[in-house]
Amino acid sequence: MTAIASGIADTTTRLVGWIAGGLLVALFMVVVPASQAFAHAALIKTDPADGAVLAQAPARFSLTFSEPVSPLVLTLVKPDGTPVALTDFRLTDQTVEIDNRQTLKSGTHVLSWRVISADGHPVGGSILFSIGAPSEPPAVSEAVDWPLRSAIWIGKILLYAGLFLGIGGAFALAWLAADGRDGQRFVIAAILCGLAAAPLSLGFQGLDALGAPLSHLAQPVIWRTGLGTSFGWTVLIALIALGLGLLSLAGPRVLARPFALAGLAGVGAALAASGHASAAEPQWLTRPMVFLHGVGIAFWAGALVPLGLALKRRTAGAVAFLHRFSSAILPVVAVLAVAGIVLAVIQVQTPSALVGTAYGRLLLTKLALLVFLFTLAAVNRWRLTALAEAGATEVQRRLTRSISVEVLIVLAVFGVAAGWRFTPPPRALAIAAAQPVSVHIHALQAMADLSITPGHAGPVAASMIIMTGDFGPLDAKEVTLVLSKPDSGIEPMKRASTKPGDGSWRVDNLVIPVPGRWTVRIDILVSDFQIVKIEAPVDIRP
Amino acid sequence: MNRYLLSAAALLLLGTNAAFAHITLETQEAPVGSTYKAVLRVPHGCDGKATTAVRVQIPEGVIAVKPMPKPGWTLQTKKGKYEKSYQLYGQAVSDGVKEVDWSGGNLPDEFYDEFIFRATLTADLPVGQKLYFPVVQECGDAAERWIEIPAAGQDEDALETPAPGIKLTPKK
Repeated sequence: MTAIASGIADTTTRLVGWIAGGLLVALFMVVVPASQAFAHAALIKTDPADGAVLAQAPARFSLTFSEPVSPLVLTLVKPDGTPVALTDFRLTDQTVEIDNRQTLKSGTHVLSWRVISADGHPVGGSILFSIGAPSEPPAVSEAVDWPLRSAIWIGKILLYAGLFLGIGGAFALAWLAADGRDGQRFVIAAILCGLAAAPLSLGFQGLDALGAPLSHLAQPVIWRTGLGTSFGWTVLIALIALGLGLLSLAGPRVLARPFALAGLAGVGAALAASGHASAAEPQWLTRPMVFLHGVGIAFWAGALVPLGLALKRRTAGAVAFLHRFSSAILPVVAVLAVAGIVLAVIQVQTPSALVGTAYGRLLLTKLALLVFLFTLAAVNRWRLTALAEAGATEVQRRLTRSISVEVLIVLAVFGVAAGWRFTPPPRALAIAAAQPVSVHIHALQAMADLSITPGHAGPVAASMIIMTGDFGPLDAKEVTLVLSKPDSGIEPMKRASTKPGDGSWRVDNLVIPVPGRWTVRIDILVSDFQIVKIEAPVDIRP
Repeated sequence: MNRYLLSAAALLLLGTNAAFAHITLETQEAPVGSTYKAVLRVPHGCDGKATTAVRVQIPEGVIAVKPMPKPGWTLQTKKGKYEKSYQLYGQAVSDGVKEVDWSGGNLPDEFYDEFIFRATLTADLPVGQKLYFPVVQECGDAAERWIEIPAAGQDEDALETPAPGIKLTPKK
């Protein structure tokens, strides 16, 4: 009995012992890993290597860790930013092998991994590799407000007509036509056109600057904005020049010539005050070139209508007019052409941009029209002028016809040139694309000015200025840049920075694979035992 | 799929203790005004490389530090002034060890080792708070810095490379 009882008691004790032991083990499993010194997985090798540029898509990716791991999430982020989950993987020892069954397009891809190792610590990271070449930013198009565009374009043509045909015409009448008054009504009409178009263009400019539709034209803010742009100066000077042109025709005869000359100079100054060409560097060169180009056009184009009409009507001074014009035109056209070529070279930069950009194609169109115009002008100058001056009536008629064709071509050239208003030159496109993005990150212990150049997806360089939280100097031992994009499934990419010696910290050979909002963290090692991590979002352009 | 489930389960079970995958102290809490034996556990090298040096910064309020020599490692201490003077067995102490370095050793990534020192936790230390011992682990030219101290309100588990620490309990 005792034996039995003790046997049962033994069994019970053993059972309780087992249960207690089991519970303890379970508890140990749940709680005690807290104090277990497990190892921690680190990525030691990848294929493709981080930053590799491959000729074609690899059939397999592999990630080798310092110990066996189990993948939690494996993501491939394509150049357009779409994440694709990678589910086809094998584990061999410490290596995760991932089969890639997709054909990858060229551009930069991100292989983002998050694994868990024996210690239960999930670790994540990203490697970049490119097929063909690192991603170039995709082209983006903006919505175009066509009514406003047309209005701006027509306004520009009318303004050109006022400046070149109006003021240029007034100059021709005052300086070349002697007493002839042919074409005066046309010239006055052109000037009035310009006087109406100039302020309207200012309003259109304001609308364009604010991105407002045409219906908002009456709002004062639109006009204030328009006046605030560099185009405001163009309009102001143009209005003064147009007024001078009108005065030279309607004012006292003695002052006609000075007024006309001042007006002609005003044409050059108005054009040099704004526009793509005047904004280009070096300004000491571009602005005078625009001035000369504008004055030359006004001299040439302005004289055409009065001259053509004088020849057509065979007025007394017509032959003298033709003689004066033809003897002056050669040097004027030479200056005009040289200035135009210099500006074109500065703006277009590379021959390929002539065909590759809208700006270049407009320039080609303009050149084609000019070739035609120059041919006509050359025939007029060297074949017809001498005969016409000698008094051959038939030739004078041909010359008139040729001049009217020239006027039409000149108008077409104005139309093309006005189109440049909407096409940033290759130079400006390059500058816009190269703009960095900058972010100021401020925390109590430290702050940083980070700029990423260029500020769009693709190969970039990052530069950081590190300071203490109160703008004092901070001589950091190490600075690490950490980029991540959680919404695209891109785990942190860490890059150590170097000190080029100018007080900044740099990370070169960085590739930002996709545009959008990234999280940037800067780890600043202040001293051996102190690290400060500051973080901010940064928007990367496409 | 199973692998994912397993991983997820592992994450659930172990994930919350993630911070302990790093260099840690064996005894996780100690009373103030007592002698503390610190055992630094080094579970792995730096990204697979062998550990060649372990350096510990001694926080303010920890005095009378005596590190334990290790065969194969050169032991050095850096001394300096404390922020204030402390009482030790009736004597005022105002300077002492601020850093302990074990260097010149070789601990391969696949092996484990411990680094030990003894110290007095002064009674002035704030009870209920954590006391951190930042550690720099060097592996030749690479280094892992277990020096992150959570800011007020920050979750310690969110730190990538947390400094080992102990919880301070009331004086016995």
